[in-house]
Amino acid sequence: MNLAFRLKMAKQKGEALVRELGIDSLAVDPLAIATSRDIVVEAKPDAEPGVSGMLLRHGDAFGILYATHVQSEGFQRFSIAHELGHYFLDGHIDHVLPKDGVHASHAGFVSADPYELEADNFAAGLLMPAHLFRKALGRHEPGFVAVESVAGLCRTSLTATAIRYAELTDDAVAVVVSTGATIDYCCLSDTMKSLPQLTWLRKGSPVPRGTATARLNGNGGRVAAADRAEADVDIMDWLGGTRSVSGTEEVIGLGGYGKTLTVLTCPSLVDETYQEDDGEDEEDLIDRWMPHFRR
Amino acid sequence: MTKKPPQAPAPSEIFPERLKAARDLRGWNQSELAERAKMPPSSIAHFESGSRKPSFDTLRRLANVLEVTTDYLLGRVEEPELAESGDPLYRDVGKLTGRDRELAKDFLKMLAERTQAKRKGDS
Repeated sequence: MNLAFRLKMAKQKGEALVRELGIDSLAVDPLAIATSRDIVVEAKPDAEPGVSGMLLRHGDAFGILYATHVQSEGFQRFSIAHELGHYFLDGHIDHVLPKDGVHASHAGFVSADPYELEADNFAAGLLMPAHLFRKALGRHEPGFVAVESVAGLCRTSLTATAIRYAELTDDAVAVVVSTGATIDYCCLSDTMKSLPQLTWLRKGSPVPRGTATARLNGNGGRVAAADRAEADVDIMDWLGGTRSVSGTEEVIGLGGYGKTLTVLTCPSLVDETYQEDDGEDEEDLIDRWMPHFRR
Repeated sequence: MTKKPPQAPAPSEIFPERLKAARDLRGWNQSELAERAKMPPSSIAHFESGSRKPSFDTLRRLANVLEVTTDYLLGRVEEPELAESGDPLYRDVGKLTGRDRELAKDFLKMLAERTQAKRKGDS
């Protein structure tokens, strides 16, 4: 089974658990889920850094210890959900069980270990299940306002919510996390991906010069103070490609992390798609939906 | 040339035979166990053939229904009804450093007390 498929299955397992438990509104409470399975959850003393979470087992008793040194409810809830991933995902017994009954994790998409990534994806599916997340998105204009509002509903971090947003929205969206002059990672929505010959922004690529993000990243004080900025932008300036498309760049400092979150949106691309659809006659539409084996 | 010591089998390698042994102990066929554990019979067949690995949640559910310990199903003790072998509190919490190590030990102690209290309550 390839990794992408494993991660997708892990996310779906998180979503399936939400359905199985009959949870039909946000926010999903990972603590209540743990309690329902008789798993004891406790916070580590807040001054202690170290691992973000641990799943512990003693005989038939299970427990989760989670870190609180990061003063973010979203991070803490994600950490608990990540450990629940290790508990609920098939096959994690081999990974989690060392010889001492303790498993320690660094949640938050920072590990390259497939089991840790599976647990991260389970957590994303559990806390931001697609059916409830999309419903919540539907009430907002595309962009940072949607991310912020849905993050509030899901009680998840801005970054985790923005990544899920890029994954699930029909809007043309790119989500970029960067530190200083360097890009950490970038996620594009399917509609954004439809632009021809885009450059895939890889880890370590430079933040494009002259952008609002580059200016904000250049000022550590603004990043730490969670300052934000907005600018009109040409998507080509960020993602290259062969078409000039106007859009909006919104960026916010993520405080103590020293990172910033950028959300690029271009509503004109979505409008264009709908206009094309409107102009098609029925014959075209039928043609598009018929399977074509060979032309 | 020194020979590498043989590696202990992973829990998921032991689980299939232990599940079957526990099921035989109770005299149930796969369908009967599946019905009691509220799972499809095919899941039990997959677990026993080793083609599917369980989660902790499944492990606990099966242990409860079969009235054996999870330690038995994981191959950590030899007797189904025996309490957990060796005390994880005194094993090396090797992956952790500093304060996390202490916290993990305290937490495991609490879990152990909880298990004992539960057992006393049951008996």
